[in-house]
Amino acid sequence: MNLRELWQKPEARFLILFLTILGVSFTVVALRQVNDVFVTPYTAVIAQMSGFILRIFGETATVTGCVVSSPRFAVTIYNGCNGLITSLIFVSGVLAFPARISAKLIGVIGGLLAIQLINLVRIVSLFYIGIFMPQHFNDAHIFVWQSLVILAGISLWIVWAHKFALPPESS
Amino acid sequence: MDRVGTQIRAPSGIVVKNATQVFLRRLPVTLIAAVVIWLILRPAVDTMVAGLAQTLIRAFEHPRVTRLVVEDHRTQMRRTDLRSDSKVPSVSMTEVTFNTIVLLALYLALPHPFSRRQLERLFMGWCVLYFSQSINLLFHVKALYAMGLGEWSQHHYSDFARNVFGFGRYFTDLPGRFSFPFLIWLGFNWEVVMKMLGIQQQEAEKPSKKKNKQGRG
Repeated sequence: MNLRELWQKPEARFLILFLTILGVSFTVVALRQVNDVFVTPYTAVIAQMSGFILRIFGETATVTGCVVSSPRFAVTIYNGCNGLITSLIFVSGVLAFPARISAKLIGVIGGLLAIQLINLVRIVSLFYIGIFMPQHFNDAHIFVWQSLVILAGISLWIVWAHKFALPPESS
Repeated sequence: MDRVGTQIRAPSGIVVKNATQVFLRRLPVTLIAAVVIWLILRPAVDTMVAGLAQTLIRAFEHPRVTRLVVEDHRTQMRRTDLRSDSKVPSVSMTEVTFNTIVLLALYLALPHPFSRRQLERLFMGWCVLYFSQSINLLFHVKALYAMGLGEWSQHHYSDFARNVFGFGRYFTDLPGRFSFPFLIWLGFNWEVVMKMLGIQQQEAEKPSKKKNKQGRG
């Protein structure tokens, strides 16, 4: 089987595109310039949004850069906590999937919003876990919420494929 | 769309939808099961990952001085040539191995997770993930040697080595930990997942439009 025949197989095309987009996007966000211009400000916006939600819940939360703090607890939002990696995996899956451009647009915008919403729930919940159950903070942070966010991203991608990407007859 | 086409497509669509719904319904349950399994196996997984990483590091080390010791879910990087009063750096094994949960949850949510075929695939997938976790730990150790030990690092490692180990650590860290379980699951269950997603059916059902669809991925 030559490359042309391989490319004509939809699943092979999907895999090649998916891995390429994923690899390129991971490389791009690793660049120092991209980190300074995009990733750090993006993480700071996530911190601001988390602080805003915590203030709605009555916390006297202040945000300095990527640090959300209150008299009761403080969290620093690092690169792994901003939902960016999960978003990149999701977007790579959407862009590589054989679908109409409009469906991909819906997937990218809707998926990114949904992942960020889930991530905000994660940060706020971790803040309260830090206040009320600090001994469980690390476990909740690493293996509960990180696993949840990854699985949420994969689930969103599957849901998108059925709701928007596949033709109505097969969904 | 002609009537025959509708009749052909409808049953396949129902199958696809049901398989996906079952998968999504199972996922929260399998996540809990995966957490329990991982918590039980965690001490063994930590030791195995540290063991393979140590073997790989020592395979290219002269003299062989690196010892990776797991204590309280952290791997301590001990070198036999360090002073006994030196601080011992360590890496959290929870962060290195937590993605086992994701792989297990995804596998168990697929149809017939305990069939022989699926168990074999789970075993193979877990082996690949285990190797990726060991490589991640290896890069942590080598990046520390190359960048974290001041003048010693400057003397023993080149700028190229620092870049290679730094790049390797970055890629196997967040991007790797997050994407490897998904990629492994996808790779070992390719036809099951593709059928669930409807890619193969979608193309098979539209032979006349196949050429027009190419290149749109």
